[in-house]
Amino acid sequence: MSYEIALPAVLVAVAVAFIALVLEKDDLHRLLLTDLAEITGLAIIALVATDLAEALILPGLVVGISELMALSEVYLVKEGLTAAPKRMMHLEVMDSAPAILAAGLVIYGIVLSGFSGGAVAGLGLLFWFFCKGHDEAFAILETASGYAWALWIVAFFVFMIAPQYWLFAVMIAGGAILLKVMAKMALVGTMRGGRDV
Amino acid sequence: MFDLPIEGAELLAVEFGDIVDYFSVYTAVLFVFALLFTGLAIISRPEKPVDIVFGGDAYYTKEIPPEQLRFQRFMAIACGLATLGAMVSGDLFNFTLFSSMIGITNIGIVAAVKNRHVLEAAYQYGIVAMVATVPLFGGAAIALAATGTLSIWALAGAGAVPLLAKMFLVVGVMGEGMAPFYIGKAEITRAPGAPYVLMIHVSSLLLFLRVVEIALTV
Repeated sequence: MSYEIALPAVLVAVAVAFIALVLEKDDLHRLLLTDLAEITGLAIIALVATDLAEALILPGLVVGISELMALSEVYLVKEGLTAAPKRMMHLEVMDSAPAILAAGLVIYGIVLSGFSGGAVAGLGLLFWFFCKGHDEAFAILETASGYAWALWIVAFFVFMIAPQYWLFAVMIAGGAILLKVMAKMALVGTMRGGRDV
Repeated sequence: MFDLPIEGAELLAVEFGDIVDYFSVYTAVLFVFALLFTGLAIISRPEKPVDIVFGGDAYYTKEIPPEQLRFQRFMAIACGLATLGAMVSGDLFNFTLFSSMIGITNIGIVAAVKNRHVLEAAYQYGIVAMVATVPLFGGAAIALAATGTLSIWALAGAGAVPLLAKMFLVVGVMGEGMAPFYIGKAEITRAPGAPYVLMIHVSSLLLFLRVVEIALTV
């Protein structure tokens, strides 16, 4: 039932994306529309709805993103946009409430724990750095990341040598992967080739 | 090997479980051709081109620093390797992945020339190549949904792959191998590093030849 509705809907979306791509004249907008067309293509693959077809989505996504990145670079060089902007974006909430939003995300991430928790907590840290600047935080992040890696290995040793303490190992591994992913996520977008690198 | 006229005799099959990379007379010839041009991209030294004035006997030489050509050479070699993979791949999905890799490296070869017109052409081609991944992967996904396998070895001669999937595959490969048309527009063949542009033409030609074989086999 749902597939009969979803597949025609996605095919209409593909057609709309392609028509938009033909009509659009601005180069940057065309780049964005290209990505849109590609996502609808992935939706077709998803609606084939077998496990094997779903395994095609990830490579498709990787290919799409790599092409998008390559084309973005070509666009930047083509238009001569070499200097990074001083301030990417400014919203009022970035002045008024970075601390409470970042703290909320980090605490929720710790509650979630593990990989997804690390992503949420890292998003909180990322938001904090985005609002407040990121001058001296790299050393701390490197240290936390290093300890997280060591703890992760320790957890594996516990699994292999003393499997009866599996709960302890799971807790260590969950906490470590939280730290590790958080540290990695917090670095996203901060390396712009400035004085910090 | 599949008792199909296009294949020729079987020379070698490399099995990875269900996925069988195969060298028939046809694919082996394409493979050797790609190998030859990859070798040319590795050993050629286009740093000292000679321009001849048309209609006269005057000529002048140019010196191009090797650093300028390094990226283009790398991309040309990567393109050659992707072509080698696409030629012998016995799996529809691997073939689509190699095709899109050829598309990306072709963008790289063109975009290595820092000239606004050439970059413009690279950009337009890139848009086409990106859009072409939709029918390319879509074709592989439909073939998979219809038959339950992606192995050309398993699908050969059965005629089980729907016509729509074959059409999508061909359209996708057309988009990925579209580069030579944009190259003519950009006149990149007169820009520094022109020999590497050969790789664009060779890879797209071989890709077309291979997709014809796949469409007739599955």
